[in-house]
Amino acid sequence: MRLPLDDARFWALLAALLLTCLAMALPRVTLTRNVYDLVAIVDVTGSMNTRDMTDAGQPESRLDASKAALERLLAQLPCQSRLGLGIFTERRSFLLFNPVEVCDNFAPIETAIQNLDWRMAWEGDSMVTKGVYHAMTIAEDLKADLLFLTDGHEAPPEPRGVPLPEFEGTLGKVKGVVIGVGGKDKVPMPKYDDDGNEIGSYGPMDVPQENHSGPPPPDAHLRPGYHPKWAPFGSDAPQGDEHLSSVRSEHLAAIGAKTGLAHVDLIDNPNLLETIAGNARSRPVEVAVDVRPVPAALALALLVALYAAPAFLRGTPSKL
Amino acid sequence: MNLAVSSPALLLLLPLALLPLFRSAQRPQSASSLDGIESDPLSVAIDWTLRIAGAVAITALILGIAGLHRLGRTIEKTGEGAHIVLLIDRSSSMDNTFAGRAPEGGEESKSAAARRLLKDFIAHRDHDLVGVAAFSTSPMHVLPMTEHKAAAMAAIDAIDRPGLAFTNVGRGLALSLDMQEADTSPASRVIVLVSDGAAVIDRKVQETLRAAFARRPINLYWLFLRTAGTPGISTVPAPGEDDTPQAMPERHLDKFFKSLNISYRAFEAENPEAVSGAIAEIGKLERSPITYFERIPLEDMKAHAFAVAIAALIVLLAAKLAEVRLVPVAEGA
Repeated sequence: MRLPLDDARFWALLAALLLTCLAMALPRVTLTRNVYDLVAIVDVTGSMNTRDMTDAGQPESRLDASKAALERLLAQLPCQSRLGLGIFTERRSFLLFNPVEVCDNFAPIETAIQNLDWRMAWEGDSMVTKGVYHAMTIAEDLKADLLFLTDGHEAPPEPRGVPLPEFEGTLGKVKGVVIGVGGKDKVPMPKYDDDGNEIGSYGPMDVPQENHSGPPPPDAHLRPGYHPKWAPFGSDAPQGDEHLSSVRSEHLAAIGAKTGLAHVDLIDNPNLLETIAGNARSRPVEVAVDVRPVPAALALALLVALYAAPAFLRGTPSKL
Repeated sequence: MNLAVSSPALLLLLPLALLPLFRSAQRPQSASSLDGIESDPLSVAIDWTLRIAGAVAITALILGIAGLHRLGRTIEKTGEGAHIVLLIDRSSSMDNTFAGRAPEGGEESKSAAARRLLKDFIAHRDHDLVGVAAFSTSPMHVLPMTEHKAAAMAAIDAIDRPGLAFTNVGRGLALSLDMQEADTSPASRVIVLVSDGAAVIDRKVQETLRAAFARRPINLYWLFLRTAGTPGISTVPAPGEDDTPQAMPERHLDKFFKSLNISYRAFEAENPEAVSGAIAEIGKLERSPITYFERIPLEDMKAHAFAVAIAALIVLLAAKLAEVRLVPVAEGA
């Protein structure tokens, strides 16, 4: 048998065969990919029931918008990332479950997010700054980064003119994002009775308009009816719009600055995964990638060329 | 067979497999005329074998590149187990030791003991579905019923963080019953209530619970982590003491559970060893047959596709090697 060494078809076939054999034999290649360990704390206080977000044109409560955003994020997070979940009310954050791998446990995590409810709240207060600080300690303990979803509505309001309390943790130990939820305009907040039925919205007299737990503001002596002992805040009912709520972007940005967290507002449709990529610590993991299709694709190209070539070279049949 | 490919778009290349049916990979050779040659069945067979080998090689390569695999599926199996909701007290008293003080040194708080022992319990239960609910002032849905052990473990891991205010058992039970209700399988249903105290259940909530427990059989276990020196489930009030739910919530909660006419057992544990014994006992009791689903992961079939392509290519190459020239190629022709 004489090898048809001068025949390009022979070489093409042989090459295709060898490439396919190579495809069979190639082991998986390990590449490194960045994944994230996150704990998401969702504000479930009353102000989160305010319906000033939209979902496909329909009004949606801030809590529902937060849950939808987390569900979208859960679907986008690369496998081997871990997500934990917690809620915030009063002055502290409460962890429901530790960070757990997102792909294997997708279904239970998703259902747990869907079941977040304002009825889980154990107190009516909403001291967001303290809640974030507390969430930072939880995240640090879990060696995870923090996503804190809140409208930034403090109830009772923070004392006027007093700077934010100092953050006692170490900056940079926990990274992450404060995600503001809510519209930019002040709107009324829905009010519920003890059985959870909605009964209108909060009026100006239903909520404390001013924080009287600290010293009065320096200009209090100018108020009508001021008395240093009996009426240190003046005698008039405090005026204010604490019964209305919007996303308090500046406040959240200030909390973010104190704690070293980034801040975005959900209403601006940020790409959460990109925001996290830029503001959370990534953990490199090895992922096995199947590269076998590469030589196989070359073999296919050769084979197709082998059959298709004569169509272009017609006329010189014996000279190939 | 349930075959599928990972990148279906690549299947658009499949018409390329028709190429070999019309074109040959053999060297075309000039012959003055074929009229004198009769068509014989063997030649026709070889001709078609080569065409089909070409088509098969191209098809197999495309399928391999597109990521041919057999779909993962779930198969039903029967084992022993139950569908369990762990209802865990997250009130702040759980942060204390069984002696009723803040843990110091090597001491273990009630919640840390519960966490360690419950995790151990879950790890040894292969076919259970486990859901987790927590309660304090309000009930909290933590994790739906799931067969994913890692998720259940992560939820139990979180229970020894500082607890919240009060113990609202009633609403917590109502939530656990809802979680059981959502699951329609005929498996044995279990609620394990882990708490270190009880509370008065509102009359209205009592009626709701009574109705919910009557709807379907549920085995209720109350793992009562009793703090030393506090009234227990079976403490009978001394003469002259009030026998009201407010004064003796544990005794009255136990009475309420007994009045439900369900399969109910209370375990009173005053130290981690007793908790471990109670959990082992629950494990022994809950061994009813259960259907569970085992996932068979998807099976990669690329190698099979490539093997087929190799076989076809070998046929083509053999034909190539068997080629003979009818006429020698003239120099410079």
